[in-house]
Amino acid sequence: MVSNAKELAEKRLARLMAAMNLEEPDKVPLAGVGGDIVPAYSGLSMYEYCYDSEKALKAMENFLKDFPCDWPFAASVSGLDGRVFNVAFSEFPDISINLTFITGPMHDVLGDKYYRYPGREISEDSSPQFIGGSFMEADEYDKLIEDPVKFIAETVLPRACRNLETPRKAMATMVRLGTEISKFNAMMMQTVGLMQELGYPAMALGGAYAPLDLIGDFLRGVENLLLDIRRYPDKVKAATEALVEPIMNYALAHKNIGATLAFIPLHLNEYLSPKLYKEFYWPTLKEVIVRLVNEGFKVMVFFEGRHDAHLETILELPKGWGVAYFEKTDVVKAKEVLKGHTCVMGGIPMGLIVGGTPAQIDEYVKNLLEKVKPGGGFILAPGVGTAPRETPVENIKALIEAVEKYG
Amino acid sequence: MLDEILKSIVEMEEEEAIKKAKEYLDGGGDPQKLLEVCRDAMGEVGARFEKGEYFLSELILGGEIFKQIMEFTLPKIKGESVKKIGKIVLGTVKEDVHNIGKDIFKVFAEASGFEVIDIGIDTPEEKFVEAVKEHKPDIVGMSCLITAGVTSMKKTVDKLKEAGLRDSVKIIIGGGRVDESVKEFTGADAWADDAAKGVRLCKQLIGVEG
Amino acid sequence: MKSPEELAKERLARIEAAVNLEEPDRVPFSGVGGDVIAAYAGITQEEFCFDYDKAKEAIVKFNRDFPCDWTFAAGFVGVGVPPFTYAFADDPDVSATVGMAMFGTIHDIIGDTCTRYPGREIERNCSPQFIGGKFMEPEEYDDLIEDPVKFIAETIIPRICRNMNTPRKAMAAMIRLGMEAEKIKNFAIEVGKELAQLGYPAIPITLGYTPLDLIGDGLRDELNLILDLRRYPDKVKKACEALVEPILKAGLALKPLGVKYAFIPLHLNEYLSPELYNEFYWPYLKEVILGFAKEGIKSFVFFEGRHDAHLETILELPKGWGIAYFEKTDVRKAKEILKGHTCVMGGVPISLIVGGTPEKIDAYVKELLDEVKPGGGYILATSVGIAPRETPVENIKALIEAVEKYGKY
Repeated sequence: MVSNAKELAEKRLARLMAAMNLEEPDKVPLAGVGGDIVPAYSGLSMYEYCYDSEKALKAMENFLKDFPCDWPFAASVSGLDGRVFNVAFSEFPDISINLTFITGPMHDVLGDKYYRYPGREISEDSSPQFIGGSFMEADEYDKLIEDPVKFIAETVLPRACRNLETPRKAMATMVRLGTEISKFNAMMMQTVGLMQELGYPAMALGGAYAPLDLIGDFLRGVENLLLDIRRYPDKVKAATEALVEPIMNYALAHKNIGATLAFIPLHLNEYLSPKLYKEFYWPTLKEVIVRLVNEGFKVMVFFEGRHDAHLETILELPKGWGVAYFEKTDVVKAKEVLKGHTCVMGGIPMGLIVGGTPAQIDEYVKNLLEKVKPGGGFILAPGVGTAPRETPVENIKALIEAVEKYG
Repeated sequence: MLDEILKSIVEMEEEEAIKKAKEYLDGGGDPQKLLEVCRDAMGEVGARFEKGEYFLSELILGGEIFKQIMEFTLPKIKGESVKKIGKIVLGTVKEDVHNIGKDIFKVFAEASGFEVIDIGIDTPEEKFVEAVKEHKPDIVGMSCLITAGVTSMKKTVDKLKEAGLRDSVKIIIGGGRVDESVKEFTGADAWADDAAKGVRLCKQLIGVEG
Repeated sequence: MKSPEELAKERLARIEAAVNLEEPDRVPFSGVGGDVIAAYAGITQEEFCFDYDKAKEAIVKFNRDFPCDWTFAAGFVGVGVPPFTYAFADDPDVSATVGMAMFGTIHDIIGDTCTRYPGREIERNCSPQFIGGKFMEPEEYDDLIEDPVKFIAETIIPRICRNMNTPRKAMAAMIRLGMEAEKIKNFAIEVGKELAQLGYPAIPITLGYTPLDLIGDGLRDELNLILDLRRYPDKVKKACEALVEPILKAGLALKPLGVKYAFIPLHLNEYLSPELYNEFYWPYLKEVILGFAKEGIKSFVFFEGRHDAHLETILELPKGWGIAYFEKTDVRKAKEILKGHTCVMGGVPISLIVGGTPEKIDAYVKELLDEVKPGGGYILATSVGIAPRETPVENIKALIEAVEKYGKY
């Protein structure tokens, strides 16, 4: 059984690596669904899933056993994006890498205003959510530019987190945060063990962030930032440049844990015209990606929303740089543009899995794969990994079977 | 005046003692005599300690007053010979990094007329041996606070024996964890767990009145 | 052959009888600990202070081969930073976490300047040592009095700890501390489990401090404090008063874990004349002891050095208040005075175990127990629990056998 699991994991990994390396694997790899459906499938509330690690692990196990895929990227328990904390602690690599996900217990400890957790600010059955906010004034760009880490750690975080308001509260909070990190890491170790048992490849995932997103999501708020781009364009640009270094420090810290794939979820990309995208967003994101590639990483970028307008810019990256995971962008078109240059991931609209029928799914996958399968370099995945509680399980099964059939 | 200074020191009147000592010197008083009075005062503080009238805090405060008066008195007798009754090489033994006991003893030993060569804390056996060779002291004083220091003391005594220096010096051990059985175990000549007793024993060891 | 559970029950009953001033079946024996534990396991002090697995194995091996009733002395692997816990007195969960953290790994994380650890500042086979230092000026007594927890957390800790001298470094250090604390917790749980299998009772302990010692050890340095007593007596007293509450809060943070005893090691007690002791030291120590008692926690006070001059003050405490563990005070005399009022602990000079012979130890224990055994209320222990590396194991064995031979009631 163990050797079977090991073989299976190797096979799945080979499949994924072939796609990432722009080759044709034995079968189109499938990155499975995850999200709210995982606890729902085991009868857990979202609150239990976020706060009870034993129950959460059990739910993951149940789900992954019954809905196998090649890469359970979206099914592992995680928190919400915490990149502002990664940057705040980017001088301390051992700490920085532990704050990519802010879990429910960490959210409680920090008392932050960024997130909403089930059983806390929202009902026990709601998904944890990122809200963000404005924790920096427009006239503070100079401070951000001068020393981004100091400004974020010492000025922004005490505003964004109730329990970091005074140095004394911060000390106590940090001790508690440390114990939560320890507990989370212990749980991740168990997750890795579980994955191995179930024949899933162990892929240590690193991370980075688009500098402009860091400003929009964690410092100024998206709306303010969009105005800032018009009002203080030079400052915004200078700020994104200043953030490259700390983001790189955070990203490269993952070398110590043997990560070779860095995940960058984008946010503001679809908000921007090609002109603004190329001026404020892409240059520093590109710098981050290129530097990571030069350091031996593959990068996986999640292009939220519609990225159609900016697709061509991806070709500026070195061939084989990594994986472009699209949400609403037409993957057929994307595959055409990026063929032989970038591994494309995505393709299944979440609406189809939630609202469609097995027959519709079968039909859809068949058609899609006919178009995107040839030549390899493609990973099939739902447009977003997080499937809602009510997702019909027969649809998930249908997806898995369809890939088996047509992949 | 000198009597008043003596009384102020013994009674722990810090400000008063220092003020009067300054006045005495400013009025043309003999610094050598002041030194002697201060020494007598320290002797009395030690005696009261040994009688159980005074406690460690008084030894420490007395030492502090003495040090402060010496700061402006000693420079005035520089050049004139200050007679020493004996020489002590003093250190905290290997592995032990505490200095408080050693330092309190040092003040009292100096106040009693000993020349003290302080070789520091965490002192390797060899360093004691070298210091004995170099300074040819009458007494070697070893201090420790932690229990591990007890074995370091034994090793240091053994090293002095090996170097053929054991018979040329008297050895006194001191510190919080030291007692008669430690003295026997280490092969020292005397032990003390307070500075007053330590200085009294040092005088006895070299045949000066105790 | 008794089961571990039976053995543990028997040992606990023995200790509790003594604490309750009764006669157990035999005089309870609190074992030795310290450097000899690492030496016996063949590991360095550095490994003992920095490697949880090796430390655990060493502690278990030692307690397997040298059985006692109470493994109190074997429970400490390092030395702590006294004010540290009190920086978190308003956050009980954190102070409970931090209070346990007397381990070399924590020294590395916070970079404190008041302890010395083997393989770091001192040679790898040395005992970890507390040396203190001056971290507060006399002009700052008012700040300490006004808000001791704030003052310690925001002013003192950054001065003591190199790795906490800027806000960012402090936050990073605290995260690391929290991460490490989980490991220490697991270490403690593992050690507890293995000791339970050897038939040792679990006796969870919290820590207390005498306010004046906290100022002397952690803030002003003992020498400066002695001078402060004369120079600023009112401020020192007010500071002691202000520290009682945080000391109790931090100590009681472990109450939810079921602690029954608060260990309070004294330091300046033997430095002080009865007059100074009764003015600056005892009133506040007494408040701490009574504060614990109110919460159902007995105090376990280590009277360092000679406490002879202050023995009578102990009688001011309520009968059965706890354990008086004496270092150099003559326990015969102490027993005489405290009989029927206070459980007395101690009696065997550690120097006898280090430098004596099995015969001498046998004879000494026989004579000692003849005098102090009658009536109960006595726990036998060495004058200090820390036995050096070279302590002859046959002497430890002789001590164990002598208690068995002469300790029965």
